[in-house]
Amino acid sequence: MEKPNKIVTKDLDFFYGDFKALEDISVAFKKNQISALIGPSGCGKSTFLRCLNRMNDLIPGSSVKGEIYIDGKDIYGQNIDVVHLRRRVGMVFQKPNPFPKTIFDNVAYGLRVNGIKERKIVAECVEKSLKQAVLWDEVKDRLHSSALGLSGGQQQRLCIARALSVEPEVILMDEPASALDPIATQKIEELIHELKREFTIIIVTHNMQQAARVSDITAFFYMGRLIETGDTETMFTRPQLKQTEDYITGRFG
Amino acid sequence: MERHFFKELENLKMTILNMAALTQRALENATRAYLERDEQLGQTVIDGDKKINALEIAVDQYTLKLLALEQPMAKDLRMILGTAKISNELERIADQAVNISERTQFLCKYPPLENIPAMDQLIDVSLSMVKKAVSCFVNEDVKTAYEIRKMDDMADEHTLTVLQTLVEYMVKNTPATERRRLNTRRSVQTIIISRCLERTCDLSTNIGEHVAFITEGVNIKHQGIDAEP
Repeated sequence: MEKPNKIVTKDLDFFYGDFKALEDISVAFKKNQISALIGPSGCGKSTFLRCLNRMNDLIPGSSVKGEIYIDGKDIYGQNIDVVHLRRRVGMVFQKPNPFPKTIFDNVAYGLRVNGIKERKIVAECVEKSLKQAVLWDEVKDRLHSSALGLSGGQQQRLCIARALSVEPEVILMDEPASALDPIATQKIEELIHELKREFTIIIVTHNMQQAARVSDITAFFYMGRLIETGDTETMFTRPQLKQTEDYITGRFG
Repeated sequence: MERHFFKELENLKMTILNMAALTQRALENATRAYLERDEQLGQTVIDGDKKINALEIAVDQYTLKLLALEQPMAKDLRMILGTAKISNELERIADQAVNISERTQFLCKYPPLENIPAMDQLIDVSLSMVKKAVSCFVNEDVKTAYEIRKMDDMADEHTLTVLQTLVEYMVKNTPATERRRLNTRRSVQTIIISRCLERTCDLSTNIGEHVAFITEGVNIKHQGIDAEP
């Protein structure tokens, strides 16, 4: 049975002031699929990613045209609670950015700001999130040590656990492994595979092999436009368009 | 700035072309040795096979290196996988040329059999198919791949005719025991040669199929011969 669409964008344009950073993006991402966004620097893939949970709202002078639907509801429509939206659509960034707090408090933070205070529930949620992020076994004996004492790979998994703690439906990842060594990268990639069962994941990556390894769907962006999208196997073995072929084989970009 | 990798791909292609040229010449010489009963020419084919074997190993190592170090994508990936397979096919064609030359050396020791027109036709078809397979790779021409596949049926027909002609010859034309033995031996060796030629046609067909995969990413194996690009 075909999976339902989770996120759909229609004729999406995005502007930084007068500069049109995204043009006419219409694409659909299915539920419980991993989609990779690839393209050269400045092509708009990260901008597009940040449109999906309205992170771009925070940039002065930016504006959006077009529509983005999550589960059929326009997230730029009226009566949208942006904080609630960002809880549903979590985000993990390029550089691990744990708070200067304990491991436990990092994961508990999102729960507490959402009003969950009961210690037993918080502790259960922290454990569950750390297990989902495949970090539990490594940190269970030092939950109250500083998160800054973890390795880069562990910190990134902690950030993923922190994103998972508020039970999002979609996880956006902006080059989540680019600052990590190959072993830590492999762990993150394995984790992404595991998370697909419960979440819809969209990942921006500069690493073409990573896109090929982790994603079900690949979308190629170039100069603010979505050039080609398709199942990852086809995109990396026989893309339809020459522009895509030239990019993924390193002939431009 | 051109990527170093593209130069490596070009080198790989040149190695295959070198191998293809040697293989094509081996088959031409093997069939000429058979037709002209030239034992010495047959021996050059047998001796030359080492070089083709070495090139096959070089291509295997080269493709493995490019896959591991360059992690190619799309057409580059298909080119590397395809050339590895084409090199195998070429090496096997060269082995058939050796086999033909060895049979020829046996046949040269005895008086010739009467001419079998289907054998001449089979030689023409197989030489033409190998030639087309190589040009199909050089020009990345999928249309030729389909043409080769159609020619393979012709090769099968000629092989069958050679077999029927020689079986009939063995059965009918051999009253005396000693002569029967000789006729049977020569006929069997000739049948083996026809089988070798028929195999070269199959292998040429495979090369065409690999070229279609490299060029367009399509798999045209095991389709009816009427399938078109």
